[in-house]
Amino acid sequence: EDADRGASADLAVVEHRRRLLEEWMSWRASIEEEVKEERAARGLPLDPLEGIIKKTTEGEDQIIE
Amino acid sequence: MRPTLLQGHERALTQIKYNRDGDIIFSTAKDQHICAWFSHNGERLGTYHGHQGAIWTVDVDPTSTMIASGAADNTVRLWDIKTGKCLKVWDFNTAVKRVEFNEDGSKLLAVTEMRMGFLGTIVVLDINLDVEAEQSNEKVMTITCEESKAIVAGWSYLSKYIIAGHEDGTVSQYDAKTGEQLDNVKVHDLDITDLQWAPDRTYFITASKDKTAKLINTRDLEVMKTYVADTPLNSASITPKKDFVILGGGQAAMDVTTTSTRQGKFEARFYHKIFEEEIGRVRGHFGPLNTVAVDPTGKGYASGGEDGYVRVHQFDKGYFDFTYEVERQARQQQQQQQM
Repeated sequence: EDADRGASADLAVVEHRRRLLEEWMSWRASIEEEVKEERAARGLPLDPLEGIIKKTTEGEDQIIE
Repeated sequence: MRPTLLQGHERALTQIKYNRDGDIIFSTAKDQHICAWFSHNGERLGTYHGHQGAIWTVDVDPTSTMIASGAADNTVRLWDIKTGKCLKVWDFNTAVKRVEFNEDGSKLLAVTEMRMGFLGTIVVLDINLDVEAEQSNEKVMTITCEESKAIVAGWSYLSKYIIAGHEDGTVSQYDAKTGEQLDNVKVHDLDITDLQWAPDRTYFITASKDKTAKLINTRDLEVMKTYVADTPLNSASITPKKDFVILGGGQAAMDVTTTSTRQGKFEARFYHKIFEEEIGRVRGHFGPLNTVAVDPTGKGYASGGEDGYVRVHQFDKGYFDFTYEVERQARQQQQQQQM
């Protein structure tokens, strides 16, 4: 009986975690989509560093040559 | 997780920052010089001299070209990482407690202290990431904190908002273009001591003297998660790759009559970001942890103590393998859906 009680308590904890994880993943999906749309609407690249990082790696390549 | 000890500071650490690639660590302390270190072996790459007072804060731009620093000498300085040359000095009326670059490194914000009839402010500066270029003197925008001084502040995703954490435990959201305060929410009972971003800056974590850290949604300042500790917190950081947060703090020696390392609780604490449960602790410092920082590539973390040491930890296999049952199930489900 004790073992059963323990098992149902564990189950409740697991169910709680499952719910938290689902909530988190659904929030992440919605906010990522929203920011993506906002970047597109402003005409910005998805990665804020797209332009500037490329410039620096090209510079390093030149040094190697 | 055997740490690498970085010895080079003679006073209490104030802030640690990794560059975007995670290979260089910058540290500031009350001893007036900034140090740069290789994160993989702890070798010192260089020091930056020029400040005439305790240095409170440092940040590195996203291209790892320049660092900015703020100090008790009432200046913000901009440095060329490679040559160690000071590129620019901006003067303020009071000490500078926090600096941060925005996501593309085109702007820098500085949080100034309230003192001698001056209110605390958040000042925005334009940055040119070309080391040869002349930097502008102009303070593009100044937000004055009338209610309660800001202690920490940063730039949101899209550089849309400036978010600040205040002495009275409130977090505020400002329009980053106009400086208008859009929202102000009380989230902590005492001083907010740190504010660090998630990689995409859509949420952040705050640390407080009230012994809690909170995960907050950038867009509407909703508190999503609360991490309860048993000691005042000075710093909090979000780990990429794994859903953890790392908290650092500890009772300062002057706040308790007898402080041993055991009582002081000088440990880095790991919590599960989503489940809010404590997972583990890492000992080592002999004083409170003033700052914790996570490698943006997810390989490790560093902590800086009141004891003057920086301890760099590389995460081991156990760290990456650690998962809750529900996380494994969710991953399996996702994989099945993709098949």
